[in-house]
Amino acid sequence: MKLSAFENAWAGAALGAMFPGSGDVGLCGIAAMDVAGFLRQMMQRLPFRAALGLRAAVWIAALAPLFELGRATTIARLKPSDRERLVVLLIKSRLYVVRSLITMLKTFGALLYAGDASVRARLTAPSPRHGLVPLRLKRAGRT
Amino acid sequence: MTAPAAFPDESLPEGSVVDGARATTPIEGAYDYVVVGSGAAGAVAAHVLAASGATVALVEEGPWIKTRDFGESVSEAFGRMFRDAGTQVMEGRAYIPVIQGRCVGGSTVVNSAIAHRTPEDVLADWAARFGLGAAIDARALEPHFDALERDLHASPVSDAALGSKDRAFLGGADAHGLGARRTHRYEQGCEGSGRCFTGCPTAAKQGMNVSYVPWALALGARIFVGWRVDQVVVRGGRAVSVVARGQGEGGSPRPLTLHARRGVLVAASAVQTPNLLRRSGLRSPALGQHFQCHPGSAIAGVFDDELQARAGATQGAESTSLRQTLGVKLETIALQPELAAVRIPGVGRALMHRFGVYSHLTTWAMVLRAAAEGTVDAAWGGRDRVRFNPSSSDMQRAVRGVALLARMMFEAGAREVWPGLYGVPATLRSIDDVRAIDAMPADPRHFSFISTHLFGTARMGLDPRTSVVGPDFQSHEVRGLYVVDSSVFPTNLGVNPQHSIMAMSRLAATRLAAGRTRFNAAA
Repeated sequence: MKLSAFENAWAGAALGAMFPGSGDVGLCGIAAMDVAGFLRQMMQRLPFRAALGLRAAVWIAALAPLFELGRATTIARLKPSDRERLVVLLIKSRLYVVRSLITMLKTFGALLYAGDASVRARLTAPSPRHGLVPLRLKRAGRT
Repeated sequence: MTAPAAFPDESLPEGSVVDGARATTPIEGAYDYVVVGSGAAGAVAAHVLAASGATVALVEEGPWIKTRDFGESVSEAFGRMFRDAGTQVMEGRAYIPVIQGRCVGGSTVVNSAIAHRTPEDVLADWAARFGLGAAIDARALEPHFDALERDLHASPVSDAALGSKDRAFLGGADAHGLGARRTHRYEQGCEGSGRCFTGCPTAAKQGMNVSYVPWALALGARIFVGWRVDQVVVRGGRAVSVVARGQGEGGSPRPLTLHARRGVLVAASAVQTPNLLRRSGLRSPALGQHFQCHPGSAIAGVFDDELQARAGATQGAESTSLRQTLGVKLETIALQPELAAVRIPGVGRALMHRFGVYSHLTTWAMVLRAAAEGTVDAAWGGRDRVRFNPSSSDMQRAVRGVALLARMMFEAGAREVWPGLYGVPATLRSIDDVRAIDAMPADPRHFSFISTHLFGTARMGLDPRTSVVGPDFQSHEVRGLYVVDSSVFPTNLGVNPQHSIMAMSRLAATRLAAGRTRFNAAA
């Protein structure tokens, strides 16, 4: 089983919205990586059912603008900010099947993204202090 | 990291490894014993039998990935060493991934090598409810645990391999009044690379691929790698041979037939064993029933200190204080960046921001001793299908266990906790916020469970109507057919099962080697 060109474009748009990169954090986006090549490899390697699940996840992400945003278009035609809004809605979906399939898509994206040498190097490097979240409470049980 | 001149999975005896991917013709052979599966159970049994002077063939479906070829890429590891490339799931109200190794050494290649003796309350339960008291008790198992701990260097995680995440866990457990300890693992010279899940790059972890399998081969055993066993052939009520298929050179299937003069030992795991036995003609009503597991759920915490989530032993600290009350085990878990990225909540810019504090992140896990039972059967296309639903009581305990873990994280000094639970805020910022977990629905679809410990699908007992094998590990239906993996465990344990699996298998093989094929209580 393999993804068609338009399915690859949808998958690329969805994963690009999930892993957009961040200049502040010093991370590139997944769009700079070979998403189509990775997915091709995955589709070859996965058992039939898992490959089918991955394809279903891509279709859900692709057609979600219709049922989540009320717009008759695909994710690939949305502007980046709307794509991100869409994947945020999908991963929090009230429908278990939707959020679990989108989480599956995120999982495959994470394997590619965090497996990249530059991302891995950034993640495992000492973090700049400004990257820390603000302290909001005193540590419990400590003064 | 200093690589030794040769790892134990190199310099194997000539002709001891027969690779199904390179076979050009059908292969046939005869041995005293044929062992199906080279994981914790199969490798130990093969070693014991080979040491007794018997001729032994091991058959493994997956490839032999050598220590020198272990890489850091989780994606590569999933593809090469995990069943279904890491996508196997249990079906139920929720889909729960079931992680199993599929390579020489089985899951011991991709787990954390944690050693726990079978808890005494579990053995007492097996005696009371399944009549195993005289055959499988602490006294019977003790010499085997002793031998395994000696052979595989079971010891508490050393100072050098204890990570910051483990120290934080021990502190949090202490603050919460829970007993906790450094994990006892099979290792020799662990450098704390945190790469247990993708294969130990230094062979410090004593997986079967660098211990009992090479040791068995050195004693004359032979391993057939890359052959999937179709069935155990039964003739006249006795297991006489094993038929397998290799991919063969150029992709054309090559058959393998191994005749077993004295017995066939099945050690294919609690998912694969029952379906293999079905394909072999067994019809026990207990076959594939009573499946049990330990679903686990991990949460992440952000600390001021650089914890370097993946540094140190993969699982360096644990608490079993609540095993008999709440029925949960708590433990640390080092996740490589790819796996951590899955556990970090959110997508888009929120996810990127969270990646920015990766080095301040740690993950701990709650492992549930679920009381529910599921089933294993063969689905369309011969696929192994596992069906499992945690009970409502299991889920209530899971909620309490995760909430406890979150509180421990705050008590250990976490600034934020990311519980990764549907319906609960992605970020908890104070111990008071943990009330959101207390109030969440006890629904498996709200969790991201993963299960690795599997039991019970060919369970042991005295009654052939309710069990598949007797206390001598031999099938009630077929003479000379033994099941020696965790399929025979009548229940789950509440602790990591590898040590118990190996001890049970060693006990079975020792009795076989001594000619005690029928358990005699007087003996």
